Amino acid sequence: MRRIVSVLTGVIVVCCVTAFAFAGPTIKVGIVDTYTGPVTTYTYDVRDGFKMGVDQINAKGGVLGKKLEFVVRDDTFKSDVGLAMAKELILNEKVDILMGTINSATALAISDLCKKEKVPFLVTFSKSGKITGEKGHRYVFNLNENTDMIGRATATVFAKKPYIKYWIAGDDYEYGHAIADAIWNHLKTLNPKVQMIGQSWWKMRETDFNPYITQILAAKPDFVIVATGGGSMVNFQKAAQATGFNKRAPFYQHTGIELSTLMPQGQNAPEGVFGTANYLFYYPETKVNKSFATDFEKLYGRHPKSGALYGYMAAQFIANAYKKAGKVDKEKFIDSLEGMALDSPIGKLEVRKCDHQIVLPMFYGVTKKSPKYEFLVGGDLVSIAGKDYMPTCEEISKARAK
Amino acid sequence: MKWKYAVPLVLLALLAAMPQFLPRFHIYIIAIVLLTGLLATSLNLAIGFGGIYQFHHAVFYGVGAYGTALMLTKSGLPAPLCLVAGPMAAAALSLVMGIICVRLSKLYFGMLQISLGSLVWAIVYRWYSFTGGDNGIPGIPVPEWIASPEGAYYYILAVTAVCMYALHRIVRSPFGKALEGIRDNPVRSEAIGIHVRLHQLAALVIAGFFGGVAGSLFVVIETSVFPDMMFWTYSLEVLVMCLLGGMYTFFGPLVGSSILVLLRTYVSVYIPYWHLFLGIVLTLLIIFLPDGVLGFAVRRFRPKEGRLA
Amino acid sequence: MGFLEILFSAGTLSQILTGLSRTTILFIVSSGLSLILGVLRIPNIAHGSLYMIGAFTAYSVIAFLGGGTFAFFAAMVAAPLVVAAIGFVMERGFFSYLYDREHLMLLLLTFSFALILGDLVKIFWGTEFRSIEPPAFIQGSAEILGLPVPYYNLFLLAVGPFIAVFLWLVVNRTKIGKISRAAAVDAEMVSAVGINVGWVFAFTFVLGCFLAGLGGALIAPMTSVSLGMDHSLIMEAFLIVIMGGLGNVWGALLGSLIFGLTQSLGIMVWPQFGIVFPYLAVVVVLSFRPRGLLRSVW
Repeated sequence: MRRIVSVLTGVIVVCCVTAFAFAGPTIKVGIVDTYTGPVTTYTYDVRDGFKMGVDQINAKGGVLGKKLEFVVRDDTFKSDVGLAMAKELILNEKVDILMGTINSATALAISDLCKKEKVPFLVTFSKSGKITGEKGHRYVFNLNENTDMIGRATATVFAKKPYIKYWIAGDDYEYGHAIADAIWNHLKTLNPKVQMIGQSWWKMRETDFNPYITQILAAKPDFVIVATGGGSMVNFQKAAQATGFNKRAPFYQHTGIELSTLMPQGQNAPEGVFGTANYLFYYPETKVNKSFATDFEKLYGRHPKSGALYGYMAAQFIANAYKKAGKVDKEKFIDSLEGMALDSPIGKLEVRKCDHQIVLPMFYGVTKKSPKYEFLVGGDLVSIAGKDYMPTCEEISKARAK
Repeated sequence: MKWKYAVPLVLLALLAAMPQFLPRFHIYIIAIVLLTGLLATSLNLAIGFGGIYQFHHAVFYGVGAYGTALMLTKSGLPAPLCLVAGPMAAAALSLVMGIICVRLSKLYFGMLQISLGSLVWAIVYRWYSFTGGDNGIPGIPVPEWIASPEGAYYYILAVTAVCMYALHRIVRSPFGKALEGIRDNPVRSEAIGIHVRLHQLAALVIAGFFGGVAGSLFVVIETSVFPDMMFWTYSLEVLVMCLLGGMYTFFGPLVGSSILVLLRTYVSVYIPYWHLFLGIVLTLLIIFLPDGVLGFAVRRFRPKEGRLA
Repeated sequence: MGFLEILFSAGTLSQILTGLSRTTILFIVSSGLSLILGVLRIPNIAHGSLYMIGAFTAYSVIAFLGGGTFAFFAAMVAAPLVVAAIGFVMERGFFSYLYDREHLMLLLLTFSFALILGDLVKIFWGTEFRSIEPPAFIQGSAEILGLPVPYYNLFLLAVGPFIAVFLWLVVNRTKIGKISRAAAVDAEMVSAVGINVGWVFAFTFVLGCFLAGLGGALIAPMTSVSLGMDHSLIMEAFLIVIMGGLGNVWGALLGSLIFGLTQSLGIMVWPQFGIVFPYLAVVVVLSFRPRGLLRSVW
């Protein structure tokens, strides 16, 4: 027994010593994200885009004379792990800002934690509308598109199409339902004639879609809305290609035309898939976008995907917000960040003051083979400006008041 | 006789004084260590002292947590009631599962328990509208007096201490001895009149109840619940904690869980391959130290004591 | 659509075919697990990790040989052999020294290997997402009653019975098979007759691992090859083995059929809780026949 006490005491002493983590001459950002499994095709870009931005900023002298540095943690797509890591980053590493994650459930849990701990949290790839909608608060910012935005933008496109019978399918989790609900509710408002003839919801990380595909095809819908999350995007497209689903029933996926989804499949990706994306390195072909893509390619040997844009812009927003605030203070940082608008490879992007949501343009297109690249690209691209589809600030405050 | 309690009491006093001079993060970690230790100890009642192949103990942990969480978020009932409701639900589930499984022995028991437990997990995981599905339930409203870091810590410390004491008394009681007798020789125990199945069922319900208590403590400190809490891999982790510390000693599981939680918190930050590390440690343990850390210590330093610590 | 309409529609047939192709994979993997459990009495938790290594190895072989039909078949042979070799090392290097220990210890040892192998895959292959295609001659789908059934699924459907018959022959008609069955029932007796039980155990374990690797290699073109494959499969495999009867190959087949079909049809009947059906089936079976559907070896 004595031995146990001494061992425990020793451990506690070690803990105390490591507790004195220096609050040094740097600004520390903690990133919790998923770096394991199929979603890495999105998250590696966020991290690398962020790093590119951070290195550029540090090369020019840093922020307020201090270097910007960051640490990463892999939450393996599990919410309890992500939450524990966020706690560790805040309490132990004493980060100034928390960033992350691709899993919406984790993001909501961390957002709740950051509200309690009063630490700014920048969401980089989770898309649940709840993040800045009903569960939004002062300490959380969303730097990528959210399901509500996707729903509204997409609904405006569908409302003009002749389809009546819709089937809705997707990953049975927060993100899947949020996208499907957002699209459907807005579509029904814009075009009351549409009908939902059925739904299929499969478990997350589902790998075998054939039973669902056959079920959907048997019902013969006009159009299928597939609300898959990052983990299933590629798998679903593979199954679609194998069964010819894309040729029998037109379907839509958010990020269906994006590089993260199309590149791993090479020339085998299905053609004719409708999709939306918020960043494409080859469109629009502006000088700014081209140079951003080239810089990224030089550093990392691959084309940037949407995650790269979000990560890069996160670095820009952080640096500029601190500069405007004048000191490393969390509250002042937040005051400076809200309402800030910066130039980006795809135009001016604003972080709205009323809900801390970034306003992004949405690109809608269909997958098709390209002579230039060894992967498919989005064709027939149409761009929808952010201000044409964002929810109004009144709608947001009503949602939060509930 | 009395000095035997000296060490635990000193430890308790030390832990009570911690918030005064330790930073918040360490208080949080110690709270996690305590509730995990309670969970492991409750499992050990079944597996170490009862010899029952309790392969899916995490179900009771999860049900205790979810029970408390759902009561706190959905019913308007006062908090103390909610905190007790979770463990009661876990005990009830334990009773039901126990009645179904206890007819079998050893591996079959374990496997049936895993399949029942997986069924519970699958339902919780998919019942999106009620249990939050795979999101879990974040942001659970916890009453003021245990919402602060210190408040939560003291509550967890108090509850853990009381439960550990209760479990200790149970283990030392005639019931506990009978359980060990059943573990060592069920046929003989039956022959001398001990109702084997009934004793095992009682042990399962008690283990399930205290596992559920650990779950409700999780809710207090983390204010959220996740379905992974009752996934079978976690059950195995808790089993490892018992083994690591020593399955045939009372404080062994607490030692084992402390080591594992501390390692996981501090080492996994620096070593990206945490599972590899854990697997190697476990392998070495099984080959060289099958009695666990505390078991080894007891055999080395107190050979006369026999198997209880 | 009315319930009866759904039951007899083309949709159901497709679902059944899909369920059956899933059965093949489940059967291959769980038969290996069942053999190991039956003869060596080890619940091999590392079985899922071995399956995963089979998938990743198949990916590497195909990628290395540049894809195509030859690469595919080469991978189907090479991957299981690699996994079998790993199994050999595991058994001879570690398990064989601990057979006299408590069951629980062996179970935990396989768990630690599952952890180690899982991370070794991470180290060796990285965490990125991988995807391989079926070979050209079985790409695309066949039209069955107006609905698509991928050729690869049909390929699996054909392979399944082959493996089943092959296994049955090995277990029941070869000398080593019969000795293994005897060893499962009474290892001491077999040893007393003068047969080296150690090599019997090694053979069975290696065969089980070969099967796990084969299962992984076969499923790779159908789904994505990623970390976490091991966790999802091992639980299903265990439940199938318990449901079918320990050590019984036909039991594994029966269990796989029940599992695969209840899952596919469950999805059709109640999409949200479809995955609950197989677990429910297991519970029902075990409540009435706790030792499994078919005779278990011990």
